[in-house]
Amino acid sequence: MYSFTALELFNSLESGKNCLIIDVRNQSDFEESHVEMPGAVEVVNIPYFDFIEDEETTVAIVPKNIDLKIICAKEASSVFVAAVLEGNGYESIGFLEGGYAMWQDLLVAKQLHSQPYQLWQFIRPAKASCSYAVAKNGEMFIFDPSRNVEFYQQFASQNGCEISHVFETHLQADYISGGPAFEAIYAVHEDDFKDSSFNYHAISDGENYDLDGVTIKVIHSPGHTPGSTCYIIDKEWMITGDTVFIVSIGRPDLGGKVVEWSRQLYATLKQRISVLPESLKVLPGHFSDWSKEVSDDGSICSTFGQIIQNNEDIYGINDVELFVEFIQSHMRAQPEIYSQIRLVNTGHLDPCPDERQSMDIGKNQCAASQQP
Amino acid sequence: MTAHDETLDCKGLQCPMPVIKTKLKMDTMEAGKVLRMITSDPGSCKDIPAWAERVGHTLISTENTDEGFVFLLQRGD
Repeated sequence: MYSFTALELFNSLESGKNCLIIDVRNQSDFEESHVEMPGAVEVVNIPYFDFIEDEETTVAIVPKNIDLKIICAKEASSVFVAAVLEGNGYESIGFLEGGYAMWQDLLVAKQLHSQPYQLWQFIRPAKASCSYAVAKNGEMFIFDPSRNVEFYQQFASQNGCEISHVFETHLQADYISGGPAFEAIYAVHEDDFKDSSFNYHAISDGENYDLDGVTIKVIHSPGHTPGSTCYIIDKEWMITGDTVFIVSIGRPDLGGKVVEWSRQLYATLKQRISVLPESLKVLPGHFSDWSKEVSDDGSICSTFGQIIQNNEDIYGINDVELFVEFIQSHMRAQPEIYSQIRLVNTGHLDPCPDERQSMDIGKNQCAASQQP
Repeated sequence: MTAHDETLDCKGLQCPMPVIKTKLKMDTMEAGKVLRMITSDPGSCKDIPAWAERVGHTLISTENTDEGFVFLLQRGD
């Protein structure tokens, strides 16, 4: 029996190593969220209590001669199942250290640019979300950090950097932000954060932030939320949050004002986004489908021109009422937890770490349209 | 408190122990008898009902009390 970390699991799956993941959590937790990757992943759900209730029948459905990776919620049940399988003659069995909770919080760094400044994308596989860091000469800006603040702090110090600014593209509803926990300038748009309980630095449209000669330009892009903002880095990259995705756009129906916000989003797309250079490399806040949105280098990035081409069903709409209809025809319920997460992200709710973790589970539901 | 025939205290135990102990206890009981089981492990809260449904026991009630999560389980046939 061996153990593996969440990052080792990611790397092993990304490199295409053959294995079978046995997720031994209960069926509803499994259906809510489980290990997904760009390529095909062999994963089955066999609750650990099946091994307790009827060991012989349950063991019989587990194939032999393949590396087995067991995942439970925390760890102990996967060790239990691994021991049962070992007792039945299975040889290559690993368990995930810390359980699914570790996979849930895993951030994978992909370096996108190295000279004269560094740019990284942090992919959070379980949430299908991305955060970013830009650094030069020992100073680092972070964008849209998730809850795992320690990760970003360690990452900065490993790269010899201090985090001076943390920017948000908008008030997140689908995951708990780490933003307020940093000892740095918290730069956010007032239209999303005016009711928050903590101090922040208000950004405004057209402003430029300087990172030792690298310019970060603020583009207010309301629609997904009133305070949604994109950041253009060095005229080359654009961090778009939940405004522009590789596939689809950010849904404008989460605030309960679908018509008003859809019109706002339409105006943003036509007047503020479509006018930008097609050569800009878009760095989105989320993705929905690994197989369609991941690049060959494993990052989630595409040129704006390519995105316009691939999303003709959205960018081709030239009438605001047709756009509102498009949004309404794709609407679906939002997870109930989103209203609670907004309260946490504005400082009005302060759950304990365990609660934060369980609130933060599950893949994002932020795209306006989802292809089957 | 609803009537029950047996009790089992799993406070302080982590997954998978609450399910293992509950199974062993239920195995000693006759069909139709009711077990009052208490656990402090939040993970077991979803697992106990899922396990009970899978193996044919009836979950009569679930209650979040100051002592922990209390389940009333009736043994199936």
